[in-house]
Amino acid sequence: MNGEDSRRFTTKCSAHYSDWTYQLAMKRRRDDRALGTLMQAAQGGDTQAYALLLKEITPRVRQIVRGQRRFLKIEDIEDLVQDILLSLHAVRATYDPRRPFMPWLMAITRHRLADAARRYTRRAAHEVQVENLPVTFSDEGSNIDSDGYRDPQALRQAIEDLSPAQRAAIEMLKLREMSLKEAAAAKGTSIGALKVSVHRAMATLRKVLIKDS
Amino acid sequence: MTMDTEKLIEQLAEVVEPVRPLPSPWIRTAAWLLVAIPYVALVVFVVSPRADLIAKVSEWGYAIEQLAALATGITAATAAFATVIPGYDRKFLFLPVLPLAIWLGSLGDGCVEDWIHFGPDGLSLQPDWFCFPAIVLVGAVPAIAMAMMLRRGAPLTPHVTCALGGLAAAGLGNFGLRLFHSQDVSVMVLVWQVGTVFILTIMVAWAGQYLLNWGSIVGTARRRVLIR
Repeated sequence: MNGEDSRRFTTKCSAHYSDWTYQLAMKRRRDDRALGTLMQAAQGGDTQAYALLLKEITPRVRQIVRGQRRFLKIEDIEDLVQDILLSLHAVRATYDPRRPFMPWLMAITRHRLADAARRYTRRAAHEVQVENLPVTFSDEGSNIDSDGYRDPQALRQAIEDLSPAQRAAIEMLKLREMSLKEAAAAKGTSIGALKVSVHRAMATLRKVLIKDS
Repeated sequence: MTMDTEKLIEQLAEVVEPVRPLPSPWIRTAAWLLVAIPYVALVVFVVSPRADLIAKVSEWGYAIEQLAALATGITAATAAFATVIPGYDRKFLFLPVLPLAIWLGSLGDGCVEDWIHFGPDGLSLQPDWFCFPAIVLVGAVPAIAMAMMLRRGAPLTPHVTCALGGLAAAGLGNFGLRLFHSQDVSVMVLVWQVGTVFILTIMVAWAGQYLLNWGSIVGTARRRVLIR
């Protein structure tokens, strides 16, 4: 391809491109006008026009929300879409039929997305993430003695001082949280004997630890 | 929210009622002035206009200051009404800048002249606590009317909208005040009167999030959908 051909080719592409963008712009304008007409009818109370309008714009709104909030789950995106539709419904009187529809819709969408982001940030700032919620209150008075022992070193020592049978019973049933059946099978003893051992061990521990404190 | 979007669309279409599109910001400003100006006139009449009003109106400095204060109120009102329309032209926000600059400039010029003529005594300040309640009194009804009209729009920028609305009401309040309050020393007007206008503007701007928010209007729409 010589220089002349190349120039001709570029001119042709450019003309084709501008024609294509022109067609696209015209399509958008027609589209916008159609949506504006539906909105105008909805302002007059036309339920069918309103339903059609909402069905027409919902996928677009969803696409925008999804594009700007990629990290959100599908149900959160749907919540935002619904929030925007409700907002549009609430302020539908602010649409001026003489003006284009899409900039009006985009302004609502943009502000509602920003609003949701602010709401999320505010909520996150006041939220404490915990794996497990505490099963009791932090107030000392509300806790009975057996809720927790606050000197682990003394508790460890008291367990060490138990007889081998009692220590094994405590370790298996209380520390490793095995069932009576599992512990009995592991130790090769009866469930009754284990119950007696753990009962006596708990009594000994209580006596020793209360005396220590 | 657990509702299906398709179902929400159907329900919104079912509850849709005819609404009158909001007029343009200029027409809404005219409607606001129809309420605000008679009230300001009534207050001025009840309190009784200053004795030298006719003579003052013919003074250039006073006339420019008053016209600039009035224009600031009117343009701030138009800008406030524009901010509650989605997709509005942001240029509207700059509408009050010119009259506000003229207002402040004319007062600043008066301060310079006083300083040239009287020296440091020309810029001395005395307490004038009357200004604050008087501007609040004159601006009260315009402010209430403004709040009611703004709540019909979309709360896109609550703080900016309320700041402009507050400036409109307080500007008009100051315009009314100077029709019955004989205080013309530029520095006094600048500090006590314009200072009051700015304090009120800041207070109303702060209250923006309570006066205008999506939560209440979307909540109302949601309740209507659910009741249906």
